Amino acid sequence: MPKLIRLEWKKNNIKKYMLITVVITIILQIFMIAMARELEITEPAQPGGKSMIRTSIDLFTHLIFIIFTGVMISAFTIDSYKKKTMDLMFSYPINRRKILFSQIAAVWIFSFASLLFCKLWLCVLLTLTRPITGIVTTDILSGALPYWLDMIVSSAAMVSISYISLLTGMLKKSSKTAIVTSVIIACFTQGNIGEATLSGSVPFYALLMAFALLSVYFSVYHAETKDLR
Amino acid sequence: MPYLLQTDKLTKIIGGKELVKDVDLHIKKGEIYGFLGANGAGKTTIMKMITNLWKPTFGSIEIFGEVLTPKSTELLKRMGSIIEFPVFYDHMSGYENLRLHTEYMGYYHHGSIEKALEMLDLTEAAAKPVKNYSLGMKERLGIARAILCRPELLILDEPTNGLDPAGMRQIRNLLNMLCAEYGTTIMVSTHILSEIESIADTIGVISHGRLIRESDIKEIQQMNPDFIELSVSDPRHAAYVLHEKLRLTNFKIMEDGQIRIYDTSVNIPELSKTLALNDVPVNAIGQKAETLEDFFLKLTTEVNGDAKTHQA
Repeated sequence: MPKLIRLEWKKNNIKKYMLITVVITIILQIFMIAMARELEITEPAQPGGKSMIRTSIDLFTHLIFIIFTGVMISAFTIDSYKKKTMDLMFSYPINRRKILFSQIAAVWIFSFASLLFCKLWLCVLLTLTRPITGIVTTDILSGALPYWLDMIVSSAAMVSISYISLLTGMLKKSSKTAIVTSVIIACFTQGNIGEATLSGSVPFYALLMAFALLSVYFSVYHAETKDLR
Repeated sequence: MPYLLQTDKLTKIIGGKELVKDVDLHIKKGEIYGFLGANGAGKTTIMKMITNLWKPTFGSIEIFGEVLTPKSTELLKRMGSIIEFPVFYDHMSGYENLRLHTEYMGYYHHGSIEKALEMLDLTEAAAKPVKNYSLGMKERLGIARAILCRPELLILDEPTNGLDPAGMRQIRNLLNMLCAEYGTTIMVSTHILSEIESIADTIGVISHGRLIRESDIKEIQQMNPDFIELSVSDPRHAAYVLHEKLRLTNFKIMEDGQIRIYDTSVNIPELSKTLALNDVPVNAIGQKAETLEDFFLKLTTEVNGDAKTHQA
């Protein structure tokens, strides 16, 4: 499996996605530095005791990386069907499910690592620029275990939830459908109407994770016996 | 006789439409099997089933003595194929695409990529991204990929699409070489009959999803006797002379005005002399044999005629 994942990265030009991650991170860091002090002064602490800066970092990175994962799923899996490279893949002496799982894993691992990198970079940067921004919030970067757990678990959850778009894209055989689905998921999970928001709601995320698991299952389980059309 | 590849009542139905029905193919080890059929006859459908991309609705496929099932992935290791158009990762070079192929096939043989590229005259273009390749170059790269891992069975679906005459000849020579030197069994589909005539050992003809003939090419050549073809400006008068003066009955006036005499014992100089003496100027005369194209057209016309009669 690790070899298959590596080959997926190679043939899908993973360097391109690395570059996109760097560009996203740079744009977000400019944005966050610009609004950091403003947020700290004007906004109260958020549910769960997080500072507004931490919440904002999560909000923007999650929003962007849910869509980013959707785009990668489209390129790695749905486009392979459209461009017929999946015909080539399925002509290899490798179990079809293994091929599909390697594509899913390749996107998951990369997106998760990119999201984590982006969050960490922003946190480190905001900590280092305190003398310039003048912010005093202490929870941007912490050595405490819950801090790291929260960062890792929330990143894994957001990337996983994006896989709902795999099924919609596969059903419609359309990359656009997959990307639009991930935009809708991003809006639902990170958006708010007035005071109401589903962001941070554990039951809601659990439900979406279940949907994502089902999406992966239905996208893969018929692969061995289905005609490749 | 044991066959390297055989199908038993192979049938494929999609959306209630029978694409292929009751096809029994028999391909011997080490032969070149020419699979002939018009566009839409069902050639690609059968090849997709053989390469496990599509699953049969009914019937079975046996390759290397094993029945092909959805789990027969190991069999694919011994096969090379091009189905429809060869697809590549366009941002990668030709060399990188072939390298990727060997990784997936688990085939690590030093110098094999270079040799495959050389065989298809692609050495110079190997470092270029595939997106810069012409259609013919992509086709050749597809063939290079198909033969790269020295497959025992090569399935090629119209492999000369997009190639110029020199390229077609190169592929014909290559297939002959693979068959002779490495004992590769080759199934090659085409609707360009001249392409296959000189290299195939066996011919299978498919029409409307049904295999209508499977014969040794030598048998076909024997079945299609030689004839004398006569080109004259007045075919009716010539026919009168052939019948009355030379007592010939086994001849036919073709639609284009030419006359085919199926009695090849006739002496050609004597024939021309008799015609000239009876005021029938001869434009051209020569002994010929029916081509594979004639054979194919005859077969498919018969089947089409039968099909129309049944429909009526």
